Amino acid sequence: MNPSTQPANQPSTPSYTLTCRMSQEAAALERLCQVVRIRGFKIARMAVESAGEHLDIALTLEGTRPIAMLQAQLLKLHTVAEVVLDQGALARSLRA
Amino acid sequence: MNGAQHILDAFHRHGISTVFGYPGGCIMPLYDALVDDVGTEHVLCRHEQGCALAADGYARASGQLGVCIATSGPGATNLITGVANAHRDSIPMLVITGQVPSGLIGTDAFQETDVLGMTLGIVKHSYLVDSADELAAIMDEAIELAQSGRPGPVWVDIPKDVLLASAPARSCEPEAASAAKTASATTDISEAMTMLRSARKPLLYSGGGVSLAHAEDSFREFTQTAALPSVVTLKGIGNSGKHSAHHLGMLGMHGSRAANRAVDECDLLLVIGARLDDRATGKLDTFAPNARTIHIDADAAEINKLRSVDLALRGDLNGILQAMTTEFKSAPLAISDWQTQCRTWNTTGGFSAADNEEPLAPITGPAFVRQLSRIAPDDTVIACDVGQHQMWVAQHYQFDHPRHHLSSGGLGTMGFGLPAAIGAQFADRRSTVINVAGDGSFMMNAQELATIRRYNLPLKMIILDNQCLGMVRQQQELFYSNRESQINLDDNPDFVAMARAFDIPALHIERTDQIRRGIETILAYDGPMLLHVAIAREENVWPIVKPGASNREMIDETKKRTTTAQREHVA
Ligand SMILES: Cc1ncc(C[n+]2csc(CCOP(=O)(O)OP(=O)(O)O)c2C)c(N)n1
Repeated sequence: MNPSTQPANQPSTPSYTLTCRMSQEAAALERLCQVVRIRGFKIARMAVESAGEHLDIALTLEGTRPIAMLQAQLLKLHTVAEVVLDQGALARSLRA
Repeated sequence: MNGAQHILDAFHRHGISTVFGYPGGCIMPLYDALVDDVGTEHVLCRHEQGCALAADGYARASGQLGVCIATSGPGATNLITGVANAHRDSIPMLVITGQVPSGLIGTDAFQETDVLGMTLGIVKHSYLVDSADELAAIMDEAIELAQSGRPGPVWVDIPKDVLLASAPARSCEPEAASAAKTASATTDISEAMTMLRSARKPLLYSGGGVSLAHAEDSFREFTQTAALPSVVTLKGIGNSGKHSAHHLGMLGMHGSRAANRAVDECDLLLVIGARLDDRATGKLDTFAPNARTIHIDADAAEINKLRSVDLALRGDLNGILQAMTTEFKSAPLAISDWQTQCRTWNTTGGFSAADNEEPLAPITGPAFVRQLSRIAPDDTVIACDVGQHQMWVAQHYQFDHPRHHLSSGGLGTMGFGLPAAIGAQFADRRSTVINVAGDGSFMMNAQELATIRRYNLPLKMIILDNQCLGMVRQQQELFYSNRESQINLDDNPDFVAMARAFDIPALHIERTDQIRRGIETILAYDGPMLLHVAIAREENVWPIVKPGASNREMIDETKKRTTTAQREHVA
């Protein structure tokens, strides 16, 4: 879409910050990204750190669907140990 | 022991006795180990899709794990439809594929495909095995994971060198503790009971989750005690048994008017093991508009996914149902007006298809299925394909148990029925298993006739042949101004001759007065047999809700128009 045709007051897509801990395995990141994509979110930023047998992943995501639904789907992945939504970042993005 | 022997060892430890597979280059070490194996029956299908769907049918009919095996590359890609089918219907399945040797991965080696990458969206979990030392533990975990919580397919991809490498025998028994995440045990049954007791028009809505949780008996006792009017999804068919006084049949796109009407009017929906799929709910905004919702499911991600619920219960379904049954035994619900109302709707708005008494009249799908339902033994397993015939079975066959009705629900996979019937027959060699297929679907896995012959499976095949892709033709007629496009199959092969080419006897019928004898003949035959049934091309499945429309807007057979109020049709 041509940006100039976008109404000035159109609300921006909600953005969320999630941190996720998962086991190191062959397809770890692909598995995570696949779920994020198919459940309706875009990755705006992603930082991955390897911590022993785990990966710690910080994600900034954009999407209009309820983020709790994505959290629930990510938690279903066998190798995902934890998904935490950064509430502070959520509040800041809602105020913005 | 080498890696291949570790796989067989895991089969033995976990009581896996039947597997469906097809050999090839990278999986050859496993096939070599099978030569010396005692205890594993390997069923050679004639296409890997047949292997996966047979494993699926085996799991559905038996409630146990289905196992399929293939080689790398084309073997693995051929499995994909069957694995996706199991994934969409939460069927416990273990998939084993050979992969090119570790050193060749990523070099575009012969028959290399990125199996892990291309199957991410259709598995519960998957592994690429790095070393033979890990194999035994991975097998234990995969087998456990496929069957626990919400079941699903788990894929283990094993490079050929890992299959050949030796590793010490597993010294200990697999851990009893579940490798899977267990469901939360916080269940608030008393709150559910309070909601049920304060409702005037409570309705039970159950799906495939009942049998997936092995809760068929608890569910049956619960429904009998609670005496709640009930509806089922396609996969929940059979949950209530065939004699339930309060059952209204399937809801949704091809559901009964009675079922959809009850959903529309109820003030409390008790959803058990169902995921509120769009084929069942129709347009969500208008679905059960007056109802509060209690949702019981093994999968936390299903709660509030499509409809926000007032109360969610998770945990052991058997335990939840038994606790609620006890409550109902001590104090039954006082909903006799609502029960009477639902029974009246069922009388006037159930699935009705008058049996055609005219002996020379052409056979219709519904009339045939009704006869089949009356003649076949109670514990017959029916494996359907996908299309109009599938819906006629769902509507008109009286199932007494959910494991007797094998139908591809979530994926709607044409070609499911024949291999699924093979799997079901291996699950119980003495049971009566019938594949009800359309002429289009039958051709999608017709190669499996060879498997039936090879193992001399006594299963029966029925083709309801309308010489077209009937379900597509119906939707073209109703929703695309009757502009038929690529649905004509009037050049089908001679199915009777085709069966005979596989050394399977076959019979053709086309008149109403031949139905009974046709069914009785194939059932009495002591071996595989095919019944080819010519039916009218123009026959439709009624009622129907246009995809995306509200369930209130069922299209009626006689009027062939949308009726915005079912009230006109259900007294
Ligand atoms: C593998 C696959 N391809 C296409 C479809 C789409 N589809 C759904 S029903 C149908 C027609 C099925 O025809 P047939 O098996 O003859 O059954 P009928 O509807 O005539 O009873 C088609 C093509 C599908 N469900 N599965």
